[in-house]
Order: sequence, then C-alpha cells, then structure tokens
Amino acid sequence: VLKPSRKLAWIALVALASLAAAQRPPSAAPPGSDSIRIPFERYTLPNGLTVILSPDHTTPTVAVNVWYHVGSKNEVPGRTGFAHLFEHIMFTGSGHVPYGLQDKLTEGVGGNNNGTTSNDRTTYFEIVPSNYLESTLWIESDRMGFLLDTLDINKLNAQRDVVKNERRQSVDNQPYGKVGEIFARATYPAANPYSWDVIGSMDDLSAASAEDVKGFFRTYYAPNNAFLAIVGDFDPAQAKAWVAKYFEEIPRGKPVVRPVVSPVTLPAERRLYYEDRVQVPRLYVLWPTVGEKSDDQYALDVLGSILTGPRTARLTKALVYDSQSAASVGAYQDSNEDVGNFMVVITPRPGHSLTELETAAAAIIEKLKTEGPTAEEVQKATAYEELALVRGLESDLGKAMLLSDNAGFHGDPGYYRTAFQKSMSVTAADVKRVADKYLTKGRVVLSVVPIGKPDEASRATESQKVTGAEDTPRPEVKR
Amino acid sequence: MNAWIRRVLVIALAVALVPVALGARQALDRSKIPPPGKAPELRVPKWTTTTLPNGAVLIVSEKHDLPLVSFSILFSGGADQYEPADKRGLAGITASMLSEGTTTRDGEALSNALQLLGTSVNAGIGSESGAIGFVSMTGKFQPTLDILADMMLHSTFPAPALERIRAQRLVALTSAKAQPGAIARRVFPKILYGTAHPFGQLTTEETYKAITRDEVAAFAKAYFQPGRAAVVVTGDITPAAAKAAVEKALAGWPAGGSKPAFSYPPLPPKEPTTIYLVDKPGAAQSTFAIGLPGPPRSTPDYYAIEVVNTLLGGMFQSRLNANIREEKGLSYGVSSMFGFGKGPGPFRAGGDIISSKTDVALVEFMKELRGIQGSRPITDEELQTSKASLVQSLPGMFGSVTSIGSAIGQLWIQGLPDDYYQQYGAKINAVTRADMVRVAKQYIDLDHLAIVIVGDRATIEAPLKATGIAPIKVLDIEGDKARK
Repeated sequence: VLKPSRKLAWIALVALASLAAAQRPPSAAPPGSDSIRIPFERYTLPNGLTVILSPDHTTPTVAVNVWYHVGSKNEVPGRTGFAHLFEHIMFTGSGHVPYGLQDKLTEGVGGNNNGTTSNDRTTYFEIVPSNYLESTLWIESDRMGFLLDTLDINKLNAQRDVVKNERRQSVDNQPYGKVGEIFARATYPAANPYSWDVIGSMDDLSAASAEDVKGFFRTYYAPNNAFLAIVGDFDPAQAKAWVAKYFEEIPRGKPVVRPVVSPVTLPAERRLYYEDRVQVPRLYVLWPTVGEKSDDQYALDVLGSILTGPRTARLTKALVYDSQSAASVGAYQDSNEDVGNFMVVITPRPGHSLTELETAAAAIIEKLKTEGPTAEEVQKATAYEELALVRGLESDLGKAMLLSDNAGFHGDPGYYRTAFQKSMSVTAADVKRVADKYLTKGRVVLSVVPIGKPDEASRATESQKVTGAEDTPRPEVKR
Repeated sequence: MNAWIRRVLVIALAVALVPVALGARQALDRSKIPPPGKAPELRVPKWTTTTLPNGAVLIVSEKHDLPLVSFSILFSGGADQYEPADKRGLAGITASMLSEGTTTRDGEALSNALQLLGTSVNAGIGSESGAIGFVSMTGKFQPTLDILADMMLHSTFPAPALERIRAQRLVALTSAKAQPGAIARRVFPKILYGTAHPFGQLTTEETYKAITRDEVAAFAKAYFQPGRAAVVVTGDITPAAAKAAVEKALAGWPAGGSKPAFSYPPLPPKEPTTIYLVDKPGAAQSTFAIGLPGPPRSTPDYYAIEVVNTLLGGMFQSRLNANIREEKGLSYGVSSMFGFGKGPGPFRAGGDIISSKTDVALVEFMKELRGIQGSRPITDEELQTSKASLVQSLPGMFGSVTSIGSAIGQLWIQGLPDDYYQQYGAKINAVTRADMVRVAKQYIDLDHLAIVIVGDRATIEAPLKATGIAPIKVLDIEGDKARK
C-alpha cells in the first residue's frame, strides 16, 4: 500500500524493516508468550487525547508517535491527495515553533522525524536522545493546537510543489507507478472513498487552498481524534507531567464523522491494459477482500505465504522454479481499515506471454481452492511470524507504531496479542474457505505493457486500454 | 551556564512541573523552547574477540533483553577484488547459488528446513566485502547455524539453477533500464572511474552470459575462507556458548585464505567539468548525480569530510535540501554523500528534479557546492548542528542485534580501533571551520565534476546549455556516446 511520507532519504532502513515486521500479525509462538509482550499504560486526557506510555531503557533514546485518525478516505472528490499534502503542511511550523526548529531539535541532535499518510490514518513521529523528550512533546502539542496561527500561503505552495514532485518520483516517472491508482478506480465505485489513491491527482493538488487547510485541521486534528504514544528511555511520571502541561489545554473538537464504507463485490471480471515506459510487461490480478476489522484477513495472509515467497510456495515453485516461465511472482493480502484486497503480481521471463502466465497461475489457484493446503504448508507459512514480531520489539518506533495502530483501529493498544491468537488459529480449512470465497471471477486483471505493444497484454483482445486513472472505467455497482 | 547549575535547574524544573499536572495550572508560556535534560551517557556495547583454530576471528557481543541472536560471517574483499572484468556479477550469483542445494539436501529441503525454523539464511557479496548470516530466536540458533554451515561448505552449485538465476538477473537488468535512478547508478561510476577500474565496470548481458557453473563453484571455494573472515555473533548468547556452537558447526572449515590488499589501478585522467546528458524521452523528472572520485575511509580528513557533508547534504535541513526542496520546491528530496571504503569511493550529490526546472536546479546545486568552499560562511548554528547530529546519533546504532553486529563488523572491515565509538565524539568535535573549507575545496573539485543528468533531452538540453555551467555530452542509457 502506498504510504507517502514527508521524506524518503533520511529514515533509517533499519527502522523501516522493524515497522514492516511489527505490522505483521503475530503467530507461531505459544499463546501468552512473554517475549511478545509490550508493557504499556494507557489513559485519556479530558480533551479526548489517548496517551500510551511504554518505557524501555535499552537505549538512551525515545520515540514519540502522534497518530491522527484521518487519511485519504476522509477527502472529498476534487481534493484527492489533500490528507497527504496536509501532512507536509504540519512540518512548516506552528504558533510558537518556527519553521525548521523541529528538524534542528530532532535530526540536529542526532535523532529523526517523519510523517506518513495512508488511506486511514496520518502519523507523525520523532526519535530523539532521551533528554529531548520535552521539546518533542512541545513541538507535537504546538502543531496540534496552534498550526493555523502561522499558516503561510508561500509555505503551502512550496509543499504543494514538493508533493507534486513526490508524485512524479513515485508514480509518473516510475515504471509500473500508476498501477495503484488505476486499481483504486477500477475496483471501487465513485462514492467509495477508497476509489482514489493517497497521493491524489495533480489537478486536485493544484486546487487545494488555505481555506481547505483550515477546515481540514479543525475537523480532523483535534485531540479527540488523536493517539500519542511514547516508547523508550523515559520516566513515566515525568512524561505524564509534560503531556498534561503541553496537551491538556488544547480544546476538544467536534466528534468526527467517519465515512461509511460498504464492502465491494465485483459482479464480473474486468480486464484492462496500460502502456507504460517499461521494457518488461507485468501482470496484476486484484480481488477485493476484507480489511482490518475482519478475521478473514489472517487466513488471507497465510494464503499469500502459501502461494508465493519461498521456493516451495505453490506459484513460486510452479512458475519460477519448475516451468521457469516467470522471473518473479508475488501474492499478498493488503488490509486497510475498512476494505482490503488480495493481489497477485507476475513478471514473465522472455519468451513467455502474460496470457500463458495468467492461465498457469489460475490453474494453480483453482487446484488450491479444490484441495486446500496441507497442514504443513500452513505451519511453514506462519513459522516466521514470532521472529518477525520479536524483531519489531527491538525498535522503540516500531513499538510506538504498533501500539498506536492497535489503539486507533481496534480500540486497544494491546490488540496485537489478540491478532496473534487469531493468526495462530488459522487452519488449512480456513485458508481453503477464504480462497473459495474471495478468489472468484469478481476481479480486476491489469496488464502493464511497453508502449506500442498492446498485443503483449494478457488476452489482449478481451482487454480494454486505459491511459491512467482518469479514463479507467469505474466498476458497476452490484445491488 | 556550567553543567552543575544546569543540572540543578533541570531538577528544579522537573519538581515544579508535577503540581501543574495535578492541580490548578498556570498560563503556559509556549514561546520558550524547553531545554534538554542532562545528556544521556553513551553506552557502547562490549564485545569479546578471539581467534578460531582455522584463523577466523570470532566477535561476540551479549544482549539478553529479547530472545534473539544475530549471526554473520563477514569476508574482507568483495566483487571489486575477486571478479574478473569480463565476469562481473559472478560474486553475486555465487552468493545466490548457496541456496540451491548441498551434498545432503536439495534447494527445496534447505528452504523447508529454514521455513520451519522461522528464519532465512542470507548471503551477499558487495563491492569490498561479503557476508552470510541470519537472525533467529535463541532456541533456533544452533539448527539454523548448522544449515548455514552446510550451505557455505557443502553447496553443489547445480548447473540448471545457474541458468535460472542468470535468466532472472537478465530480466532485472532489462527492467532497470526503464528506471531513471537505476540508469544513473550505472552511468555515474562508469564515467567517474572508466572501465579499466573495477568501480567503473558494470554487470551487463555479456558478463552474465559469460559465467559458467564451474567458475561459480571455484569462486565459492576461493572466497569463503576463514583467513579473511570474522564471525560476528550478537544477542542472547554468551561468548562461551557462541564459541562452542561455531566450533561445532564449522569444524569442517579448513584454514586458508587471506585478506586482500585492496590495491586499485590508478584513476583515469581528470576531465574538465562536463554535463553528461542521458536521454530518457518523456521523463517527468531529471535524475541528477554530480560528483567525482573521493578519498578512502582511511583518510585523516574523514571526520572533517563527514561534518562538511552533513552540512551540505546529509540532513533534511542541509543546505542542498533546504534550498532545492524546501525553498524552491523543485524536488521531493536532494542529498549528498561520500561513499567511503577501502578504495576511492565517490562523492555524489543529487536527487530527482522536475524536468522543466532542470537548469534552475543545476544552478542551485553549483551555488551550494561553491558556497561550502568559503563563499557562504558556515554559521555557528550550522557547525554545532552538523556535529551534534553525527555524535548524538551513535546510540541509534546500538538498538538491535543486527545493528550492533554491523557497528562492530564495520570496525573489523575498515580496520578501525576497538575504542572507535568512544573516540568518535572528540574527533568530530575537534573539526574546525577551516578544516571544513579546506576539505570541501580539496575533495569537491568544481573544475573536474561529472554532472550526470538522466532526463528528457528535448525539454532540458537547451536550458542546460544556456546556464553556461559546462559543455554537454549526450550519452545513451549504457553511458556510451549516443549517436546524434
């Protein structure tokens, strides 16, 4: 899932790896294993701000994560990309914190900061030497309470240009870069707020005004829509005093009205192709599935690991190792808060067509749906999850993200342990059931082919050309 | 303010705050920056170093808070020491082939065993060093190590697997030719070092196709030798247990091999500053890579160079990014770095720039490169922030078992002293403004820069020419001279 960030080059890869690990649901360790317990304390300020504290004195650093329950799904048509543009505005200074000071008090003292935006949430974080916790809380509270005091149209315009460059770098100038927004448009009806991608369109980014910034801030950036997690080397009594000092006076906002998102079922297969500046064609198949709120996500995760990854996984073994018709293949479940999808991606080897690969992959998936996986396949698919989770616990930031996501999406910072139990209990029958239920004809098949070679698309004559998200036909709504 | 007074004030402030949280609050003056507390002490992990009977060095660092162990065997020397010029890619393919089967287990059996252990063994050989290793739960350490040893010592390198890996690499190479960043990463070193220098030699279709199965087997045998190796174990294990485990698993690893000399051929003659334009028709952005060959890691100027580069392009608010991204909005991010190693790694500044402002960005890049050479004086704040950013980032290097392993492993690879991290702060803090200006002038030679720009020639060539910064040579995506 595309999660645009304020910046790319400065965040340590180690932290990213830990995050990826931490976001996987746990499994395979004995239930209640203490090696995956994060001790935390949670409380709520009178203004509605949820605070999560988890001390860990292993290294003399502390991570602060401020998590707002707002993302691209809270945007309105005509202002796509706004939640992410707004994230950039949050770094341009606030009432008492001049522009640039945050970087000086994080990177400039050996720490780091960044923000990321998804469909569902926007999160801001710092990692600092532990003696800089107070200044970090001062900065975060100031932009939560006083962002609009210094809103400057020149800063908005500069960040608008930065975001457009981010879009050029990650979408327009990137081979296969437009796949995400084409799928969003092809899968979800216009009224569904997952029907546009987080990065948004160039036209909508151009249209965003200072008034839009003010309205968005007042609606979504109130303490009652936020979670503050502090993890690392700090004294909880001192941290509580600082949290009260800096955050308590920020007024509660109006209750946030969240979009009602209906699940999507596609009535039939849709076939599209897109000509891109690529040298190698690639096939993408997407099925709408379920999001974070559905327990089927755990069996779908296991299904992805049974299909691709290690050389013994079914699609990998058949296409990359045995027939050697594919250079690579991937299959995975992607869960957002309200919706999700299951995706298969295949890159062919020369001499093998996308049509041939689609047919071969479909046969393997059908066989799995008929037979179901073996118990050993399920065991192998989940055996790594304990290690992945424990490695995530090495990072203060990884833990802060995990606790915030769990609090925001599931109402409990410790929900990861429940998720762990659910993931542990996935059986071969569950995997067969979700494969049957979701991997149906109701899918979108997208071929990305080199410019001028539409005949390289899978079943080209049955596929419709699109040139980007703009002319991608929306799905029929099944009533 | 002396340190003692500051400490008293901090304590007084902390005590004063508690009632605020509990009772009636006073109006908060938000305009004052909360001062930092007492700086935490640097805690560098300790480690033990011993030599195994076969000559390999064993380094163990304990960390018992989580049931994790990180294990790596590091090898001094890499593809740039051991690969023939016409077989570039041999080292990387050899590392991949370690997963393809041993005398007692085929590739699937290896994969199944590792999946059930919940981990994977990863091998890779880079430019000047290589590594094979894993991270496991403490309880899975010995069986995973046994598999690593089997892969390293008893691989069979089946010929059909080589054909599969070769084909995959060729597809990846083709795909890379559509990716502007990947094109720049290939063309830039080729121009800086030339094809007679290992840093300038690229993997190509021809070099991949020239590699044979027997060469892979021979490379593995010659490369994975204890005389050039350090075994680095970090995490939930004692030095005695690590030694016993390693001696058991690697009992059959015979002595042999030595560290390479890292002797590189001379650099090609310097060329006057030139713009090398690689045409990518229709590109929405221009990818910049500006630089020249730099000094090795062993240079006494290392610390001054690190400080000056941090100020120029090592941080978000460094001069390059503050100007080109934040002030002018021309990019999502620009940065600079020195690629330190045993050889003359490059200085490189760059980023992706909106096509229509390619010329404006080049003017700004050159302005900032001139600026740090003295024309824009270094402020007190810049000096202090650049140094603090480097020195105070050290604790972040010791957070996880893998990062501790790589922090210690780097000392062994670069031949740095055991108290390197303890001394680091003093060395950085000793750097003066005069040092910074001197090394900027010496190592960022404005008269001999290669300015590689991958972008849409039709849009950018005339404006670049009009800047008058340097003559333009047009290249194809392989970095060779393009036909007109």
